[in-house]
Amino acid sequence: MKSKSKAVQGWVPWLLLMKLATVLMVLGVLALVYLDAQIRHRFEGHRWSLPAKVYARPLELFSGQQLAQGQLDYELTQLGYRWVKQARAPGQVQKTDRGIAIYTRGFRFADGDQQGQLVEVSMQYNKVISLHRATGQTTSLLRLEPQLVGGIYPSHNEDRELIQLDDLPNGFIETLLAVEDHQYYSHYGVSPTGIARAMWANMKAGAVVQGGSTLTQQLVKNFYLTDRQTLWRKLIEAPMALLLNVHYSKDEVLEVYLNEVFVGQAGKRALHGFGLASRFYFGQPVGELKLHQVALLVGLVKGPSYYNPQKHPKRATKRRNIVLSILAKRGLISNAQKLNYQGLPLDLSEASQVSRYPAYMDVVRQQLQQHYPASALSSHGLRIFTSLDPWVQNQADKAMIDQIKKLNKRYGDMPELQGALVVSHRDSGELLALVGDNNGGYAGHNWALDPSRQVGSLLKPVVHLAALETGRFSPASIIDDGPVSLPQSDGSLWQPQNYDRKSHGKVPMYEALAKSYNQANVRLGMQIGVDAVLLQLKKLGIEQSIPAYPSVFLGAVEMSPLQVNQIYQTIAGHGFYSPLSLVRQVTKANGQLLSHFPFAVRQAASSASVYMLQQEMYKVATEGTAKGVYRYLPKHQQVAAKTGTTNDQRDSWFSGFSGQHVATVWLGNEDAKPTPLTGASGALNIWGQLVKKLAYTPYEDIKPQAVEYYYLNTITGRAIPKGCSNGVWLPMPQNLAPTYSIMCGY
Amino acid sequence: MTLLKPLLWMSMGLLMGACAAPRYDPIVEDLSVLARPSERIPTSGAQATDVSAPVVAPVTLSPQAKQHQAATTTAVVTAQPIATQIKAEAKSAPQEPSNQSVVITQPAAVPDAPLPESDQAVVEQLLAEADQLKAQGKVTQAVIQLQRAQRIAPREPKVYARLAALQLSLGEASRAEQLSLKGLTLVPNQQNYQYYFWKLIAASRSHLGNVSGEAEAIGEAAKYK
Repeated sequence: MKSKSKAVQGWVPWLLLMKLATVLMVLGVLALVYLDAQIRHRFEGHRWSLPAKVYARPLELFSGQQLAQGQLDYELTQLGYRWVKQARAPGQVQKTDRGIAIYTRGFRFADGDQQGQLVEVSMQYNKVISLHRATGQTTSLLRLEPQLVGGIYPSHNEDRELIQLDDLPNGFIETLLAVEDHQYYSHYGVSPTGIARAMWANMKAGAVVQGGSTLTQQLVKNFYLTDRQTLWRKLIEAPMALLLNVHYSKDEVLEVYLNEVFVGQAGKRALHGFGLASRFYFGQPVGELKLHQVALLVGLVKGPSYYNPQKHPKRATKRRNIVLSILAKRGLISNAQKLNYQGLPLDLSEASQVSRYPAYMDVVRQQLQQHYPASALSSHGLRIFTSLDPWVQNQADKAMIDQIKKLNKRYGDMPELQGALVVSHRDSGELLALVGDNNGGYAGHNWALDPSRQVGSLLKPVVHLAALETGRFSPASIIDDGPVSLPQSDGSLWQPQNYDRKSHGKVPMYEALAKSYNQANVRLGMQIGVDAVLLQLKKLGIEQSIPAYPSVFLGAVEMSPLQVNQIYQTIAGHGFYSPLSLVRQVTKANGQLLSHFPFAVRQAASSASVYMLQQEMYKVATEGTAKGVYRYLPKHQQVAAKTGTTNDQRDSWFSGFSGQHVATVWLGNEDAKPTPLTGASGALNIWGQLVKKLAYTPYEDIKPQAVEYYYLNTITGRAIPKGCSNGVWLPMPQNLAPTYSIMCGY
Repeated sequence: MTLLKPLLWMSMGLLMGACAAPRYDPIVEDLSVLARPSERIPTSGAQATDVSAPVVAPVTLSPQAKQHQAATTTAVVTAQPIATQIKAEAKSAPQEPSNQSVVITQPAAVPDAPLPESDQAVVEQLLAEADQLKAQGKVTQAVIQLQRAQRIAPREPKVYARLAALQLSLGEASRAEQLSLKGLTLVPNQQNYQYYFWKLIAASRSHLGNVSGEAEAIGEAAKYK
């Protein structure tokens, strides 16, 4: 019995062990099957959520085009072009005798693919004279690729730009493998010798100085596993790497690695992949990189934050040079080459890489969200083509910051002062730039869309337009600027006064606008009625319902800077309303067109009325309240404008247009408390500085046939001989043609 | 029994494996779903595209948008396609289906009058490209090309003439009429253009069923013949 029980006792643990081993084996196999499924699922499925890419407008160069001082250099810098002695490859520019030669990059536009080409642009005083291809032929148009200005990111904020092995420049893979995993093409996903070597090195150093991970393992870690250093993770990393190696070719795994690798952080945005890394740090597509730039990117893998070249250039340079030394040690470059590359600067992009256009992007996002679900925007790699003009936006940001600084100096610190600036293209109605706050836009609130603040005198041109539309008024019509007193519904009297608290007697209508006389403008309004003004406002593009009080004549209406700009846009556009727009087209990642916005207009006033109003508004700038703009602009540059100041100087407004641009500026305190600023002493300066910095093409108004110019004695309203010194040239409609007098004074 | 146990384990394991949710989101729905007009807000401001996709409408601020702003502090911009308004005004206009495909009820006649050559080579080049695209049936691409020309040469009447003619041939008569009216403001002293634009306006109004407007336009055109 004893022996039997012994035998049984010996037998039972053995049996148990065997059972246990079988179970473990089966479990192991099952785990492998599970891991395998997971690996294949992720690797073969939709690997990444690709953020939508938002592009600025492409710069079009054509003969006769006027650019602003410094604009072309700026645009090329933003696009990451490199100045060279002789342009031989896309992304390069060179100075020539006649101007510059640009080797453009190929780009997939919404209207089709455009190949990269070398074109010499002859320039004179910032004007394009002609364009010549490398073959000597002239061409009439050169379109640069558009600047990538932002993205719409998924909730995990991962950003990447997909690349393929073919996109890499020579030497990239060699450098990467030399530094990270030089046996990549010969190991099985894990490298026992690599681990042994790392362990040896770590033991010698007494610390972790070398990792034994292969690229495959690194990919497994980033792609499939979480960052947490758990035992489970450690256990499955190696088998997963082995499985990956079994299922996929080395090239396939490498390509995924190139796109997955973490390369830095920009605010909330996590930067992944060498495609984006190249764009982010150098402003260039990865294919254009030189070896010292490649070495920097490869060196970053070890610690993207620690070696961040923007924040720690010295550290990054050191790391880059170590990478170059490794290349030399492995015989991939000569010692001389190594020294040469090590002596080069980091060559980082000069373009700022933070989101530069938050206010604009804000509106783009809002507009797109009405047409596309959020998931489509943040994961399908859609391409959004907008009308954002980087030059205009840059100048707008600058004007806001510069002038607010000056105003603070002049009037004492105004910590609550906010501002907004909207710029659109005069004829197309496209939004070119938006500044949403007082510092070029880093914080949350977009003041261009909201606040709604009273617009004050900015509404007077609408009153004038409504008056001109009746056919009973012209810029020469005489209006009484005497004191006004209107009974209100509650029995009290409304007695608006002029800014200077004086009355100016009988004045011609254009002068009432130029000098922004409140009393005269209310009288003019009363002659046509509030309803006519509100109807006119609606036609100009303002949809909101506004209570019909006479205070409307003086702009007691709340609007955002964007809405005000819409009104002035329609006036500038010869009385044709086209809604301010900012998305031109949306395409899929492969270029297939999904949406486009066709240009459409709707006539809001007769061309004769609008023409006369425009002439009045020119006078606001030449002899009225907006005269200050000529501190910024040359005398010959014609601009139409209007200032606006609300009660107690709570808001300082300025809106107007030049030949090409319509712009609106608002300044005011966040809490709507009074400021020391009027429209002319505040907002005008920002407008003036901005318009001064934009390209100016001389342009002549086209006079409608229904309008004629007369040399008038504005007191008698008669046309007088041209020799008289007291006359004013004013446009009048045919039905109001003046009588002639042979005497100057009568 | 001893054999059954591992089998039981195995089946449990298989079940677990099969039930395990994938760690990452799988393939997201195809974008072509987006392109199905019935699932989208109809935007009559849309220009039909090659993929009958939703069209991005212009930004205008509507009162509703203002309420949103107040409620959420982040401002909301609502799209208000201009064509809606235009159509609301032209009550006599035949209602078009709200889907994106172009319905050409009767291709209205585009006047066949020669227009002077633009003095800007770039304009002629882009117009030629647009003509070519249109001939290939790529109408949307042609419109995009014409809008490119309009941005480059915004006061070139020929661009408006082509844009208007193209819209008319697409049955967008109201849009064609307005573009022609805008074109007219650029050519107060050019008879050939005035004739051309008034003819376009007449054809557009005829398409819209605006009989008196058409007669007026024909009268205007006759002045410049």
